[in-house]
Amino acid sequence: MAKTFIGGIHPPYRKEGLSALPIERMPAPKVVAIPVQQHVGKACLPLVKVGERVLMGQKIGDVDASIAAPVHSSVSGTVLSIEPRPHANGKMVNSIVILNDFLDEWHPSALPKPHLDKLSPEEIVALIREMGIVGMGGGGFPTHAKLKPFPSPPIDTVLLNGAECEPYLTNDHRLMVEAPEKIIYGLRCLMKAAGAGRGHIGVEENKPDAVLALKKVAALYSDITITSLAVKYPQGAELQLIRACLGKEVPPGKFPPHIGVVVNNVHTAEAIAQAFTTGMPSIERVITVAGGAVERPGNVLVRVGTTFAQVLEARGLKGEPYKLVSGGPMMGLAMYTGEVAVCKCTSGILALTYEETGAREAGPCVRCAKCVDSCPMFLQPTTIAHYAMKGRVDDAENIGALECRECGPCAYVCPAGIPLVQWIRLAKSDIYARQ
Amino acid sequence: MDIKKLTVSSSPHLHSGDTVRQAMLLVLVALAPAALFAVYHFGWYVLAILLTGTISAVLAETALLRLMKKPLTIVLDGSAALTGLLLALNVPAGAPLWMVAIGAFMAIAIGKHVFGGLGYNPFNPALVGRAILVSSWPAHMTAWVGPGLISSATPLAMQRAGEAVPPYLDLFLGLKAGSLGEVSVFLLLLGGIFLICKKVIDWKIPGAYLATVALMTWVLPARGQVGFFAGDPLMHVLSGGLVLGAFFMATDWVTSPVTKLGRIVMGLGAGIITAVIRLYGGLPEGVTFAILIMNGLTPLIDRYTMGRRFGAR
Amino acid sequence: MRSLRVFSRGLVDENPVFRLLLGMCPALAVSTAAVNGLGMGLAAAAVLVASNILISLLRSVIPDKIRIPCYIVVIATFVTMVDLLMAAFVPDLHAVLGIFIPLIVVNCIVLQRAEAFASKNTVFMSALDGLGMGLGFTAALMILASVREIIGSGTFFGISVLPLAFEPMKLMVSPPGAFISLGLIIGLINYLKNRREAERGV
Repeated sequence: MAKTFIGGIHPPYRKEGLSALPIERMPAPKVVAIPVQQHVGKACLPLVKVGERVLMGQKIGDVDASIAAPVHSSVSGTVLSIEPRPHANGKMVNSIVILNDFLDEWHPSALPKPHLDKLSPEEIVALIREMGIVGMGGGGFPTHAKLKPFPSPPIDTVLLNGAECEPYLTNDHRLMVEAPEKIIYGLRCLMKAAGAGRGHIGVEENKPDAVLALKKVAALYSDITITSLAVKYPQGAELQLIRACLGKEVPPGKFPPHIGVVVNNVHTAEAIAQAFTTGMPSIERVITVAGGAVERPGNVLVRVGTTFAQVLEARGLKGEPYKLVSGGPMMGLAMYTGEVAVCKCTSGILALTYEETGAREAGPCVRCAKCVDSCPMFLQPTTIAHYAMKGRVDDAENIGALECRECGPCAYVCPAGIPLVQWIRLAKSDIYARQ
Repeated sequence: MDIKKLTVSSSPHLHSGDTVRQAMLLVLVALAPAALFAVYHFGWYVLAILLTGTISAVLAETALLRLMKKPLTIVLDGSAALTGLLLALNVPAGAPLWMVAIGAFMAIAIGKHVFGGLGYNPFNPALVGRAILVSSWPAHMTAWVGPGLISSATPLAMQRAGEAVPPYLDLFLGLKAGSLGEVSVFLLLLGGIFLICKKVIDWKIPGAYLATVALMTWVLPARGQVGFFAGDPLMHVLSGGLVLGAFFMATDWVTSPVTKLGRIVMGLGAGIITAVIRLYGGLPEGVTFAILIMNGLTPLIDRYTMGRRFGAR
Repeated sequence: MRSLRVFSRGLVDENPVFRLLLGMCPALAVSTAAVNGLGMGLAAAAVLVASNILISLLRSVIPDKIRIPCYIVVIATFVTMVDLLMAAFVPDLHAVLGIFIPLIVVNCIVLQRAEAFASKNTVFMSALDGLGMGLGFTAALMILASVREIIGSGTFFGISVLPLAFEPMKLMVSPPGAFISLGLIIGLINYLKNRREAERGV
């Protein structure tokens, strides 16, 4: 039996056909809007002025903070304005708007770096920061900050997340099939930076071609293991992935480094390899464009700063989408406008129709316990939701509301259609507000 | 491109499509063979009882929803029909129709709506209805009959009186007297296994329940008997309302624990109470009260069986 | 006008059983038949009026710190009188009500009226208050007992009032029936009250 975790659900894949589509490059748009915050942590300050000419790969925003990553220009051209624009996090975020001159003139700093054998761990970490690498699975946590974390035991394993358990999304799948060398090179950079003796990649077993491609490259390295995992959501959730691949559990309230593990997405590893071998900072990424309202779904290589509307225009829309989602359907965020820019951590753009979301009215909880059985964190979603509805903040905290990762199986299975994740989010924000 | 109207809501943006109604319909389907067997076994009058129970419950639900100013479409979730059918399956085959109707009304009104309707009732509504009938018209509720509505003792009563109990096969197939839904253990088991496969119910409650009753009735001497390990567990499992209760009543979503361990505790507790009532109590059968008592303990069970969280030791 | 209000308050707005939920023990236990309800209610009413009058008379004499024991002594005196009188003149009813007559001593209503009203008001007002509360208690018991007796036994004051075909619902004269009927009656009263207030636009 393939390795897995306890709990979870089996949502429909909706990847049929998509996973066979090679990555296509989307031409850069005429105007890009690059948000100064594309990561968890402190927002960057713009390093350029309106009217200034910027080059491709030029650092245009940075901030002196331990949890932050610089942003780079994804085109060459002129800065039109620096103004707040809609952002995938739902807020207005200061964005550097650049008029593309279509010359794609590289900034002189974008040079290939020395081979990783010639770099020290500290140099690798510094380069990862300088190249603006953040978690590209959707979290957006600055990668360099993961490598030099809290006082913790030494890191022994770097785990790459290739599970891609979210329905619809196939961008990581394509990347694993098309660029396995880069992923392994990125993994080796990460291992060296963290001082880890072992590298591990977990892939769901519904991607046999990806497993095969990775295994072929990994055969050269005795310290890298590729693990085939059972197909189950949320197999790619950090804690569940560690449980499945390494058989270890991260204690409540702790982070993976606590048990000597660092987890990164395969796309992050690819971006590191790209940055080290070509000198290109994190200015483009592969996203899956899918959903019932998309005419030509596919896996698209997009420059950061392209808006969702521009991407959708390129792929075509059939009818009005009911929801526009940034990321996967289980954990992604619903957008209120298409004017949101693709950033480093945007894994997908889904234009969903009403029918495919299965949207419905909520009824009373019938205590069927399906949410309890499906919760991979072994919580009681219905009870936390009940406390949230009644404003019983202490009770919600006592039964572990803060350990919820908002992965969504509870709300997916609920026969009463209760938006459990929404209620638990309310409980969590109430708890934080009180602290 | 312009997107005019986008809906924004919390993730996830997918749903399994499962509904409460679907589950209720599955339970009704699972109960159908046993109900039809009762019609075959006892006669056409039973069909009248089943229809009276189901229709009265649906009418009561509609009336009360109206009174409570709730949307009448709730009645379509099928929970009221299920409650009515379960109540009808829990009366003797010769029960007067007016009594069944009152029982169904009480089950919905006192068992469910006084607490706020579906999802809020602490006790299994059908069993509340049955308990009300037992304490209101005990003569009717213990007038057990066999085929053709000829009065006959239930196996458990025969055993108490020291008479010969029908052979195991008859008990299993349903050739005996008793509440009309409890007779065909075979078809009830089929329905129960169907529900377990369909993931509507968890095997833990019926499993723990049946095992506990079997173990206790095997090991412990009944009142007036001596010697351990001399009981007849098979007779106890195949007789009375145990299988009906274990698969279809103790597993009621609303009134049973939500934790995995809690479901074992629920089955265990109901088993102990049932066995104690059967072996030492004043009544020959104790399934109704065993389940009702465990219903009352359900919030407590949930609280103390929360189990470990991910990553905790 | 004030005296009328003091009197009527106990009957409806502050009905001890249905509104204040006081004296639940006898209300639930003896309300199996209308005649029991009437007997119990009147006995409690007699004690209420008498104790309210006496406690009002003594209100300036009773020291504050030991007022509760004093009230109990006064109440117990009247309860003993009522108990003995009932044993002498209505022995059957007395036998049915049994322990609940002596238990009027610790009945919350009697003590509560002594503490909340009689100890602060004039003798006349206290008497009116006791009478209102007592009659309110009697009325509540009568309503509860009538419902339970008619449905649970098919009789009213022991006389058959329903057709022979009616099979009494024994649950109603058993203890669970008391809780169920009391709950439903209180629910109905709350419903009517809310509707009246909604009509008035409160």
